[in-house]
Amino acid sequence: MASSSKTSVPTTSAPASSATSSPASSFRQSPWVRWGAPLLLLVGLAVLPLVMTESANDTLARIGVFAVAVLGLNVVMGYTGQVSLGQIFFLGLGAYVTAYGVSQEWNIVLVFVLTCAIPAVAGLLVALAAARLGGLAIAMVTIALPIVGVPLAKRLSDFTGGSQGMSARFVAAPEGSGLYDDQWQLYLVLVIGGIVFLLTYFLVRGKYGRAFAIVKGNENVASSMGISPYRYKVLAFTIASLIGGVSGFLYMVVVQYTSPETMSFGHSIELLVAMVIGGAGSIVGSILGGVFYVVVPDITNAIDPSLTALLQGALLLAVLFVLPGGLVSLPRAVMRGLRRSSAGRGSAAPPTTPSSTPGSGTAAEQTETERHGHA
Amino acid sequence: MNRHFGSRHAIGIAAVSALALTLTACGGGGDSGRSGDAAEGAPSPGITDESVTLGITTPLSGATAGPGTCTVAGVTAYFGMKNAEGGIEFGDGKTRTVEIEALDDTYDPQQAAANYDSLKGDVFAMTAGLGTPTNRAWRDAAIADGVPQALIMTGDPIFSDTDESPMQLGFVPIYQNEGEAFGELLAGSTAEHKVAILSQNDDFGEGYVEGFKSAIEGSDNIEIVQELTYEATDTTVDAQITELASSGADVIFNAMSVTPLTIAALQKAQQLNWTPNWFLPSNTSSPGAILEPGGAAAFPGVYSVSFAKAPASPAFAQDEDVVEYLAALKEYGNYPDPPAFPHCQWSWMVGATLEQAFAEMEEPTRESFMEALRGIEGFEAPLMLPDTSVTTTEDGQPAVSTVVVQKYNGKGYDTVESFE
Amino acid sequence: MTLLELEDVTASYGPVQVLDGVSLSVPENGAFGILGANGAGKTTTLRAISGAVRTGGRIVFDGKDISGMRPDQVAALGIAHVPEGRGSFGDLTVRENLRVGAYLRKDRKGIDEDIDYCLDLFPNLQDRIKSNASALSGGEQQMLAVARAIMSKPRMLLLDEASLGLAPSTAKNVYDAIRRLRLESGIAMVVVEQNANLAFTVVDDATVLETGRSVLTGTSAELKGMDEIRRAYLGG
Repeated sequence: MASSSKTSVPTTSAPASSATSSPASSFRQSPWVRWGAPLLLLVGLAVLPLVMTESANDTLARIGVFAVAVLGLNVVMGYTGQVSLGQIFFLGLGAYVTAYGVSQEWNIVLVFVLTCAIPAVAGLLVALAAARLGGLAIAMVTIALPIVGVPLAKRLSDFTGGSQGMSARFVAAPEGSGLYDDQWQLYLVLVIGGIVFLLTYFLVRGKYGRAFAIVKGNENVASSMGISPYRYKVLAFTIASLIGGVSGFLYMVVVQYTSPETMSFGHSIELLVAMVIGGAGSIVGSILGGVFYVVVPDITNAIDPSLTALLQGALLLAVLFVLPGGLVSLPRAVMRGLRRSSAGRGSAAPPTTPSSTPGSGTAAEQTETERHGHA
Repeated sequence: MNRHFGSRHAIGIAAVSALALTLTACGGGGDSGRSGDAAEGAPSPGITDESVTLGITTPLSGATAGPGTCTVAGVTAYFGMKNAEGGIEFGDGKTRTVEIEALDDTYDPQQAAANYDSLKGDVFAMTAGLGTPTNRAWRDAAIADGVPQALIMTGDPIFSDTDESPMQLGFVPIYQNEGEAFGELLAGSTAEHKVAILSQNDDFGEGYVEGFKSAIEGSDNIEIVQELTYEATDTTVDAQITELASSGADVIFNAMSVTPLTIAALQKAQQLNWTPNWFLPSNTSSPGAILEPGGAAAFPGVYSVSFAKAPASPAFAQDEDVVEYLAALKEYGNYPDPPAFPHCQWSWMVGATLEQAFAEMEEPTRESFMEALRGIEGFEAPLMLPDTSVTTTEDGQPAVSTVVVQKYNGKGYDTVESFE
Repeated sequence: MTLLELEDVTASYGPVQVLDGVSLSVPENGAFGILGANGAGKTTTLRAISGAVRTGGRIVFDGKDISGMRPDQVAALGIAHVPEGRGSFGDLTVRENLRVGAYLRKDRKGIDEDIDYCLDLFPNLQDRIKSNASALSGGEQQMLAVARAIMSKPRMLLLDEASLGLAPSTAKNVYDAIRRLRLESGIAMVVVEQNANLAFTVVDDATVLETGRSVLTGTSAELKGMDEIRRAYLGG
């Protein structure tokens, strides 16, 4: 998903980062906004489950489940640039581990730990083999995961309940809390999902995130700076698998049932679509991806249940044409449109990179055109 | 990098807050959506004095869209016809029209559960949806919410177990019923038979074999000479067929749900000059799609089971039920073509069975409906074959547990009374 | 004191032999040039040193056999490769690119000092410090690539075709800075260059490659005077 623009860049134009000087950024930098907005968000999320209807709570909880799954995919694909078509397998694995643990009446904390650990170890083993291959080979190996996973889940019926699946209703609201089950479930999703998002946010902003971006941008440069692309690909894949496992746990919190269908290959593609639509290599994009994954089927069902596939396809194309950077680029696209219309077409437009992923694409590609110019 | 994140962060907060506000606004106030605390005897959601609304979640897109669309079309056509005649008389003396709200779940359990959640506040009962995992996904929730999950299209026995599934009832025969019907026919034969069994290694295959074995238990004339399995993901069963052929069996009980494998199995046996009598499940015995390409005419007999008249069969072209059904399907079911899947017929029968239950329902409540639904005995729904009927009073059995064994006649099927 | 020694190094891409026994030796603080036409094996020699291609023969750095090591391991020993095509990160600013170069370092203060040094070395970058790398000119990107390599505090720089595609005056600027870097920092260098004249402004010794073999080795002064060099590379 490396997506740097191949347009030749004006060598003398104004710096591309003119956005930093826009009034919007100074607004953002005011301490009231910087601390007030997250605080407001936190209070909002804390109150929300209490005031919304059961159906809205349920929708929001499912968005949380798939936002976490998309976030995991983003770690390996959006941030590290490795195509993975197997993310749904880790969601399914996590869901099965949860369902099995609950059916055996294990301590729920232990179940959660296993739900993180087992998919992470599975992801690690796959990555150790697949990351050596590089390029499309990784994609091919990851395709195999859901394709193998579905029949495996059917066959290991002692653990998985076979094609009839497994139910696990383990998240009734605690006695005395005064909460309805849907409120309690949404709180669980918000807290667990929120922690995963926060940790991932720090991960991709920090040293590891920079290494992921460098590997994504140019593996040779990464090597030349002492960063082993192999090691970081394996790391990213393992983290993605772990996050996938957590999303499986949340899936069981909300859906409370898993079957081989849960990890069917089609859903893996849908997760990938959700990631691209939301915005590759973006934390907020992951949330928007979750919204897309959950809300769009509901909307198309409301329009005409017999045309859902067609409507979803049309919507997908429309978003990609209008916003190639995903929904997360909408505010920037609007800003750009406004700036352009107010400033006229005078100054050279900043290079439009479809995705604003740090380090996506290398400048080497741009100099190619220049080099030919001199030849 | 920091700059990017800064701006995105702010945008994200805005987006999430906006979303949250929207959801809150949509949701309205209070705990209105939460079910379960209705007073005794008060009308349940989804029913008024004039109409009742039923919900369906079923695959309308994706690989199982064909049968899924049928599950909506049949019952919609049935009640469309009845509504046009003025509605249906309920046991409480009121006449109501029946509305259907159907949603696509693409055979995704998660989406099915979401569809259920969005429908449960508006509909009186859920019905007719296709699929085992998609119905299992919200089975527990339906029990907890007290929402009927009535006459659904799955052969999974759990839905017919009243203790485990108090708010549920499956419509179509469970796998065991089909295997049992063939076993009974075979046990009634005057000759001795050696049976080879080839079954899918999952609950589908196991169910068939279990039913078959229970029916032949104690019959001295039947001997199971060999029993093999295969995986649903296998691409060939040549090895199994070859091994079974050498067993000298004159009957093969083939519990297989995969269309191409069934064709290949029929062909492989012919290659080996092994021509036993075949038993095939109802969903892999289509004359056009499986038996013809498989060259089934080479075998002395190919048997399957059914409980519905096949509208495409010339034998039923003038049948009153079939004529009425096809006309309604076209006019009210939004299904202009001749149905390609039996699920259309089954869904039509679901409509007729629901009408029976409505007629006995004395209060406009879900409890009263479930009671009436479980009180149907020997109802011969339209399109049902002779000797089959809807009976809901037997615990552990779906609404339709009687099937008749049919034999392939080169074009379609004829019901048979005995095994020759 | 020899820092880097190549002994009879061979390499091939599939069936094609691209290095057919290259030997060279670079002393501590020394600078060595690899000259030759397109396809002679210059870039492959650098890639062999940095571990990006499998090789035969021996490559010894600071007394340690590094042949067979992975690129990131070689880099961790202090060999910084400035690849042909530069490979800067277009979406990152110049300053961020420089920080990327210091990825393995932990001395915050030293990093800041080295950034200042790089900006002093390449004043053009100072002017563009907040620009995205994708907005830089070709010459600026080359400077950025060299500066990024410096940021890793290497003991040896591998420079690949630093003048490629640049206007002559820009190329001269780049090489002026590289010479100054060498004098001030003492970082050893292996310089691959088609433009021999530019290379000679930096290196002490050089070798000429033809189809994967050294055909001529000597000091800059010796080579400059030779007819072959003049004819082949100096347009004489």
